Amino acid sequence: MSKEVFMKRYITGMVIMVSVVAVLFFVGCGKKPVEQVKEVTPPTQEVKPEQEVKPVQVPEAPKVEEKPQIKVPSLEDQIKEFESEDIYFDFDRFNLRPEARKILAVKASFLKAHPGLKVRIEGNCDERGTREYNLALGERRAKAAMDYLVFLGISSERISTISYGEERPIDPRHCEEAWSKNRRDHFVILGK
Amino acid sequence: MLILVVTTGFMVSGARMHVNIASPGFSKLRVAMPMFSGPSELASSLWKLARKDIEISGVFELINPDAYLHQGPLSSIAPGTLKDWNLIGADFVMVGKVDLNDKDVMLKVTLVETSTTNKVVDKTYTCKKEELYKAVHGLMDDFLEESIGLQGIFSTKIVCVADNGRSKQLYICYPDGSGGYHLGGLGRLVLDPAWSPDGSKIAFVSYKRNNPDIYIVDLKAKTTRLVLSFPGLNTTPAFCPDGKSIAFTLSKDGNPEIYMMSLYAGSMSRLTHNWATDTSPCFSPDGKKMVFCSNRGGSPQVYIKDMSKGNVTRLTFKGSYNTEPVFSPRGDWIAFSHLAADGHFHLAIIREDGTDMVVLKGTGKGDESPSFSPDGRLIVFASADGNLYITDITGGTLVRITDGKYIYSEPSWQD
Repeated sequence: MSKEVFMKRYITGMVIMVSVVAVLFFVGCGKKPVEQVKEVTPPTQEVKPEQEVKPVQVPEAPKVEEKPQIKVPSLEDQIKEFESEDIYFDFDRFNLRPEARKILAVKASFLKAHPGLKVRIEGNCDERGTREYNLALGERRAKAAMDYLVFLGISSERISTISYGEERPIDPRHCEEAWSKNRRDHFVILGK
Repeated sequence: MLILVVTTGFMVSGARMHVNIASPGFSKLRVAMPMFSGPSELASSLWKLARKDIEISGVFELINPDAYLHQGPLSSIAPGTLKDWNLIGADFVMVGKVDLNDKDVMLKVTLVETSTTNKVVDKTYTCKKEELYKAVHGLMDDFLEESIGLQGIFSTKIVCVADNGRSKQLYICYPDGSGGYHLGGLGRLVLDPAWSPDGSKIAFVSYKRNNPDIYIVDLKAKTTRLVLSFPGLNTTPAFCPDGKSIAFTLSKDGNPEIYMMSLYAGSMSRLTHNWATDTSPCFSPDGKKMVFCSNRGGSPQVYIKDMSKGNVTRLTFKGSYNTEPVFSPRGDWIAFSHLAADGHFHLAIIREDGTDMVVLKGTGKGDESPSFSPDGRLIVFASADGNLYITDITGGTLVRITDGKYIYSEPSWQD
């Protein structure tokens, strides 16, 4: 076709396309033609003066949840959780492992949120090693955790320590699995 | 096997034989003891107690009754029969006659040394029916003293911790395990007992006030007093030889350290100054030295402190874990718990200059908490099987003295 004719048809096509797009655009925004809009109102009950007002029997609608269901734990439950997590040590050592520090950070947060609570740290050892030395080692384990909690901002007046040495194992068996569980600091909330 | 040379240094008298009880190749003195005569149940009980004490003595050995040419019960050694006892290799023959009246039991003993025909013991021992062991202890003490001039130890007492699964209590018994009883009312978790030098008091640790605190119970006065209750540890009490002060471990100054306190004046001094754990003090019999456990070198080891000069020297260099040192009342050996190459704890002994370390074979199951007999020849200790045993410094004796009824630990032998 001739250049003139092509240009004419091109321009026409573009105008049509743009118009279509414009229409679709406006329609897409949700602006409906006026005749399509209907006002939707919630059902109302016409109250007639003579009639007894009956309680509205609305079938139990599911609760409107804004988030997935979270039950806020009671303080008692939080304390149980706090007390349920121990920190563990290597044989004949009282240095804090990285996992222990993380656990202590969580405990520190809890203690900060509840300034009225005090904690007692119980240091323990496995049955290997001798009793007198283990009393001392248990004390050092408890003290290591205490020092770290103080470092994290908990007042030392809120923390006490006690060593049970090897006298109170949580697992009485005689194997490494039991021993590793017994080399622990246990945390008890006082004044609960 | 490690051989040991130690002399007893005891005097020889005409009636006594000279025995180097710990020389290489020392063999025990052989005793023939036919069943005692008299009411059979009593006679048998007394005989069994005597057999146990012979075992524990460390110097005597009972010849199996099956080998006797004259079977018991025998109340006397018939004239002319001594050679028959000699024939089976007996160094001593002991016969006993048991009699009984309303309240007492009488054991008449004749004990003869076969080589000299001397009567070493010719005496009647009396006791109550419930305390048969007292007659036997009297007899065995006389036997030790009269035959070879050794100090009698059978009437001394051992205190330990007995665990019944619900609580840990102090338990006192004789070295053969007889006459045992609990000390009640001290708390539910009671540990670490130590005798006073005069045997009238016991220092111990109790959690009665929800903390490891040190108390002293006076067995004669029947009173208990709280002596140390600092925050943190108050543990490992040990009396000084003069009985007037105690040493112990406290952690109140930041880490476990050893301190000493006068029991009358209450004045306290600190004996260790080190970032490391220092614990388990024990004095030499003259009070001039103190052994203790410290991990200042990186692992728990035995150290010795000169109390006048103040210097501290490390004693143990073998093994990665050496703890709970105790001085012999003779001052010649220090015993301690040693983690051996086989991965088990064994008792070991060492000189105060760190030489001559000997590892004792023991039970092989895990032995700890040694405590010397008053004459420094025998050691009582706790095994991982929950029982107490007696051994001697040569390792040639090993006798279980408890019955497995409780879990026994931390024995301390009266001086």
